[in-house]
Amino acid sequence: MGVVIFVVAALYTWQAGDYVITFGDVLGPSVFPVIVGIPMMILSASLVVFPTGQAEWPAPQRMWRQAAALAVLVGYTILLQPLGFPLATFALIALIGIILGGAAWKATLLGALMAPALWALFDQVLGLPLDFLGTLFG
Amino acid sequence: METLSLLAGGFAVAMTPLNIGLLLMGCFVGTLLGALPGLGPVNGVAVLIPLTFAFGFDPTSSMILLSAVYFGCMYGGRISSILLNIPGDEPAIMTTLDGYPMAVQGQAANALAISGVASFVGATIAVIGLSLFAPLLARAAIHFGPADYFALYILAFATIGGIAGVDPRKTLLSALIGLLLATVGIDPISGVPRYTFENYHLFDGIEPIVALVGLFAISEILMLLEKTVKDRTKAIPVGSWLPQWGVIWKTRWAMLRGSGVGFVAGVLPGAGASLGSFMAYVTEKQTSNKKGTFGKGDPRGVAAPESGNNAAAGGALIPMLSLGVPGSGTTAVLLAMLISLNVQPGPLLFERQPELVWGLVASLYMANIALLVLNLPMIGVFTRLMMTPTWALMPIVAAVTFVGVYGISNSVFDLEMMVFFGVLGYLLRKLDVSLVPLVLGLLLGGDMERNLRRAMSISDGDWGILIASPISITLYIMTAGFLILSVWLAVRDHKQAQAERMTEG
Repeated sequence: MGVVIFVVAALYTWQAGDYVITFGDVLGPSVFPVIVGIPMMILSASLVVFPTGQAEWPAPQRMWRQAAALAVLVGYTILLQPLGFPLATFALIALIGIILGGAAWKATLLGALMAPALWALFDQVLGLPLDFLGTLFG
Repeated sequence: METLSLLAGGFAVAMTPLNIGLLLMGCFVGTLLGALPGLGPVNGVAVLIPLTFAFGFDPTSSMILLSAVYFGCMYGGRISSILLNIPGDEPAIMTTLDGYPMAVQGQAANALAISGVASFVGATIAVIGLSLFAPLLARAAIHFGPADYFALYILAFATIGGIAGVDPRKTLLSALIGLLLATVGIDPISGVPRYTFENYHLFDGIEPIVALVGLFAISEILMLLEKTVKDRTKAIPVGSWLPQWGVIWKTRWAMLRGSGVGFVAGVLPGAGASLGSFMAYVTEKQTSNKKGTFGKGDPRGVAAPESGNNAAAGGALIPMLSLGVPGSGTTAVLLAMLISLNVQPGPLLFERQPELVWGLVASLYMANIALLVLNLPMIGVFTRLMMTPTWALMPIVAAVTFVGVYGISNSVFDLEMMVFFGVLGYLLRKLDVSLVPLVLGLLLGGDMERNLRRAMSISDGDWGILIASPISITLYIMTAGFLILSVWLAVRDHKQAQAERMTEG
């Protein structure tokens, strides 16, 4: 991770040199990124060389659950507009509930109840426009 | 006297039906969020911010709602600490030490009532302190020039990790990542797009609200997934909810001491409520633990940390409102909301928008009374709601988060950004990197750069201006002193750990 941050910081600092402006402003847009980038490189490099603390990464089995949850979250952002709010949210609540260890039928029931309830609360009562049917159906 | 008339004006602002309604809702939701293990003030406020945007409340009403949630969380955290031995949020950890043993001994009603009253005392003292000291600090800060602000921001970054933080390098690195993210977008002075990768969604910069909802709320879901799911321990049944008032009265000095300690801890940058309750507990233990009853269900061990964390929560609002530099994670999140509503906290806020400042202060007085009423007789309701299982709670939190962020902009790109920040937040948390400096960097980065460049324009490129005023020199000295102290503490801890490893091996 330290290496990743170092590389990002180095690219960032290098890129900063490209932002040149000649008029008006004394410092210009590139000085501040350099001020940020250089200490970042130093700090991340020092953390690579002298690491402190040991991160405990979860067991592979748990990683799978996290990956699954992440897939559901990303899937939601992609499917929200095609499916419409209630349907996508139903899937979101039910799937995350199951991944978190809830009984499948309970999580499904919760999603079936909460998704329309949230839609009604936000769209109807509070006036936040949310698509009822997605572009796929409407 | 001036303060009193301003405060009276504040009550006039806070007394509108909408604001009172928001206040009560905020208190209820806050107590519940605080009581639910896993959701603390930072997550709670972060989840609700997008909603206040989506509904288009004015800054004053939004601030009243979210501050009520913030204070409510501080009240609510103790409920699960006492009944489940699981802190509802981070500042409530100290309450488990004596609160749970009290509940085991059949004194749950007393413990809950003491902590409720202690919360009220602590929070009220903090709000009184807020009304007295915040205007003074704001008046002093009006003399700050651009170079002084630059120095102040540097001080804020150096201290936000707290003295007790882990590796100070990680804290600084986190702040720098935040500053890096803050430079994304079109440079406001020269109009050059920076780090946008030709993506027009990034031209406006990274929306801080989207980033911090992801960092706190989404990463929390990922954190939860790695813990083993097991049935939560049953709450200790409470026979009668009626407390014995005599026991509460006996803890009055503990409450007052805890409030004082907590308040000071809250005002100091980078300390926040967790440190406030910790210090209040330790102080109380030193002064009153004559018979060794602390840790075994001493009522004073419940009163001190609870008054301490509530006092610290109120105290942390002072630097946030008067300097624009938050003292804790939750106030950093509140700052994000104000900035996104085009309200720039700082000394000028008190002159330009007194109705916001004093309306907020007045509503905090009211919130405290509402919370006391809510927390004493209605404690049974919260205990029942607290038992909502995680598998049911977190999906709803996720759904509400998505609705809120989507509601601001109707942009799927923002949702993707939020998930990205959720993963980033998760990775950083796993590596022991605190997220608060990152949020602070993202929030203050733009302003910090603007002040630096303004100072340099004034001096026509002479870097000497940065150390030309007594204010900035003082601030730099404080920064240096603080950094030396934290490095020294970190090295000492490191050596201790090594020595322990030597003796074990």
